[in-house]
Amino acid sequence: MSEHASDHHGSEGFFKKYLWSTDHKIIAMQYLFTGMFMALIGGFLAYAFRMQHAFPGASVPGFGTVSPGQYNMLVTSHGTIMVFWVAMPVLIAAFGNYLIPLMIGCDDMVFPRLNRLSYQVFLLSALILLVSFVVPGGAFGGAWTSYPPLSSRAEYNLSPAGASLWLLAVALEFVAFLMGGINFITTVMNSRAPGMSAFRIPMVIWMIVIATVLFMGSVGPLVAGAVLLFCDQLLGTAFYDPTRGGDPILWQHLFWFFGHPEVYVVLLPAMGIVAEVMTVFARKKLFAYKTVLYTALGTAVVSFFVWAHHQFVAGIDPRMANIFSAATLIISVPVAEMIFVYIATLYGGSIRLKTPMLWALAFMAEFLIGGCTGIYLGSSGSDLHLHDTYFVLAHFHFTFFPIAIIGAFAGITHWFPKMFGRMMDERLGKIHFWGTIITFNTTFLPLFITGLAGDHRRIYSHINFPDLARAELQQLRMVATISVVVMLAFQLVFLFNFYMSLRRGPKAEANPWNANTLEWAAPSPPPHGNFAELPTVYRGPYEYGAPGREEDFWPQNVPS
Amino acid sequence: MSADTHSHPSYVKIWGILVALLVVSVCGPMLGIKVVTLITAFGIAVVKAYLVTKHFMHIDVQPRYVAYLLLSMVAFMVVLFAGVAPDVMRHDGLRWTNVAAKAEVARGGHGEAPPAHAAAAKAEAPKPQAQPVSPSEGAATFQTLCSPCHGPNGDAQGPVAAALNPKPANFTAPEFWATRDRAHIEKVIRDGGPSVGKSPLMAAFGGQLDPAALTKLVDHVMHFNKAGVAPAPSAQPR
Amino acid sequence: MQKPIATTRSATGIPTGKLAIWWVLASEIVIFGGLLVSYIMNRLGHGEWGDYAAHTNTMAGAVNTFVLLTSSLSAVLAHKAADQKDGVKAARLLRLTALGAAVFLVIKSFEWTHEIRAGYTITKNGFWAFYYTAAGLHGLHVLAGAVIMLIIAADAAKNRELQRVELIGLYWHFVDVVWIFLFPLLYIAK
Repeated sequence: MSEHASDHHGSEGFFKKYLWSTDHKIIAMQYLFTGMFMALIGGFLAYAFRMQHAFPGASVPGFGTVSPGQYNMLVTSHGTIMVFWVAMPVLIAAFGNYLIPLMIGCDDMVFPRLNRLSYQVFLLSALILLVSFVVPGGAFGGAWTSYPPLSSRAEYNLSPAGASLWLLAVALEFVAFLMGGINFITTVMNSRAPGMSAFRIPMVIWMIVIATVLFMGSVGPLVAGAVLLFCDQLLGTAFYDPTRGGDPILWQHLFWFFGHPEVYVVLLPAMGIVAEVMTVFARKKLFAYKTVLYTALGTAVVSFFVWAHHQFVAGIDPRMANIFSAATLIISVPVAEMIFVYIATLYGGSIRLKTPMLWALAFMAEFLIGGCTGIYLGSSGSDLHLHDTYFVLAHFHFTFFPIAIIGAFAGITHWFPKMFGRMMDERLGKIHFWGTIITFNTTFLPLFITGLAGDHRRIYSHINFPDLARAELQQLRMVATISVVVMLAFQLVFLFNFYMSLRRGPKAEANPWNANTLEWAAPSPPPHGNFAELPTVYRGPYEYGAPGREEDFWPQNVPS
Repeated sequence: MSADTHSHPSYVKIWGILVALLVVSVCGPMLGIKVVTLITAFGIAVVKAYLVTKHFMHIDVQPRYVAYLLLSMVAFMVVLFAGVAPDVMRHDGLRWTNVAAKAEVARGGHGEAPPAHAAAAKAEAPKPQAQPVSPSEGAATFQTLCSPCHGPNGDAQGPVAAALNPKPANFTAPEFWATRDRAHIEKVIRDGGPSVGKSPLMAAFGGQLDPAALTKLVDHVMHFNKAGVAPAPSAQPR
Repeated sequence: MQKPIATTRSATGIPTGKLAIWWVLASEIVIFGGLLVSYIMNRLGHGEWGDYAAHTNTMAGAVNTFVLLTSSLSAVLAHKAADQKDGVKAARLLRLTALGAAVFLVIKSFEWTHEIRAGYTITKNGFWAFYYTAAGLHGLHVLAGAVIMLIIAADAAKNRELQRVELIGLYWHFVDVVWIFLFPLLYIAK
């Protein structure tokens, strides 16, 4: 039984087709390009503050001298943008919007207009954040964690307009993702192609749905907390003001109750993308589908019990620190399990080292380093020494960078042919890959060392501290800075590749990678409505190398 | 759309029960027994919520996982309470005391919050030093941005100064003013130490101060030159 | 706009719109839950808030509870009418529910005006800060719900999109349940 998709939208103006569309693919592109644009801004901010570290007090080309207040604004905006306006829109909103209807075999999301509204609210949130850079007092500089009373009192943060605009931007971003999330969950639950039972859903789709549910279940208290912070900022209430009966620790808890599940919200989709890429380019089925699924669920549940490991030195009760420390160490087990399953998937596979696969492999290696270094931070004892040092920073860049950057590049290079109907250039892809990965390591590995030596986070200039002004530490900071500048330069290779491939790349067929999942059954790029005839599913998504078949792949929608 | 053909008690009857329970919960406190009040207030709330969820929202006709979903969300709120209450609800614990909260409780019953900037929170606040009296408006800016190093009195005795090498400038020393004029002061503040060949420990604050604020700050720094020393033209540094 | 075929599918058996509303309610539970947990922790830790709370208007709260319970009744009766394909009756009952919302908000505005004039403002102390914030957030949900309800009623009166009557009803019952807990928290526990 097949259904015919509607395609009655004949010729449309530019506005209706690209800016006012309800088509999930267009909305996905809107999220993707907005996220990529914000990544450029976030990267520039990092350039500016890293230059300050390498050449303290000197004028940064393209920015000027970095004052202490501006330094705070730079690091705050960098962190905020990378988490909320790069990682989330690219990994969840862009790939979720694009892949879900295609991979489950239907013609669009179930609430297309809500989908469009979610992007519009998201765009508004991005604009509000950017506006906060130019209001009197400048951008908010109280770190992406926005702890009160720094964030609640204008006489402390010196940027009252910026602080409230920042908070409003983040709150709107949450609203946008709550709206988008409803679409993802209901579409996957209800609109799957006939024959696509639960365990035949591609892993990336499961991961995006679990991540969405995790987001929805954890963001509520922070929304409430943000309302309270708004009241403190704008109305003079004292929810978080200890001098008037409030408690700043309450904010910390409300923030991190969401903040910790948030890292798994972005991790799971990245791991899903890696699973898709690996199975295609190793020509092998996912080693233990159900194990991966159940451990992802387990990770999501346990992630609700670890949040205060961000607060070990904040003055929480030491007995709670024990509990959170134990839970944090436990959560490393399911994540490690997933990595083992991925390695087992590769084992015995027929590996093609195309660009997407290189990114997927790099994800595993770099995330492994990030995860292992987390053990030292999750143990409350060692965290006493390491908290708020660059060791933490290096740890979370070794997790976040694989998630938000490596995972995104894996996904973009893998699905570019489907999205744009052209193939990306392999050679440029590899140059970009190596240029990024090598410099990524030389940027952040030195920071583990400086962190252990005592470099504190969010400090404008470490040479103000006699113990840290040593030449060998400054050399490491210099290495990190030069590496990040080179890394940013290599992104030009990607942008060039992206643009040229879009314009003049070789035309892509429907299934250039010989993959199994349903999106490859649609034309490249898919038209409005996706499939000429909506597919039916006959098997799981990872039937590669099935015995007795001439071809080493077996698409889900082929009857036999 | 599915027609929910299920048997259910009359909606009006459920409403009647709900209103009756409301009346009980309002009357409960009148007995004056705390435990009774708690039971009638919150116990009844739970019962009312159950009745609305079951009979009005028809949750019993939905697939089981809907109820499990909603209950999981409530369970997460219990986890939130369990993880946060030891710090926020309690005001002391293993080797810590929330002095500010205890002070607030002690103050309580008067219904007034103390004015802002009252006594400090969990740690002992350092004793505030005497504020310099200055006719200019830059004093507040100086206090916020400059006093940690240069000291509230401009004498380089700020708390951070001990860790710095070289030491911050001492504005109360006449020899300081022998080699610096107003333009120099303004340049150092705006563009930082390296702009006049000095240590980068002196940060550039131009990005944080609009021209009016900068002028007022410079006014304030100039007022430390109580002796009115002026540099000889040949004694300008650089 | 033509609805996608995706909308017509239902692998779970639950209509898509209803599934969506249950997820919305789930996310609202944690939003209000976060706020109420914060309030409860503070309330239990600050005995003096019992004295501050003595000044809330229990009668106004009780009347408002009655109003919301009754509006929940009209909402579920609207759903019953929609089930029987009687769009006109469903619309009338939805509008009655929205009227209940309006009465709720009017009573609240009188209540708050009186309290603010008496000096119990949001900055008075921690109790009143939570009082206005929690009831305010709830009130915003009442207002938004009433507006959406009227839009759905307009469609229902023409026998269009009748399935939405139940959906807005579910949202409305949730708003009612939140108030069922807010009432003792803010008005009874003194």
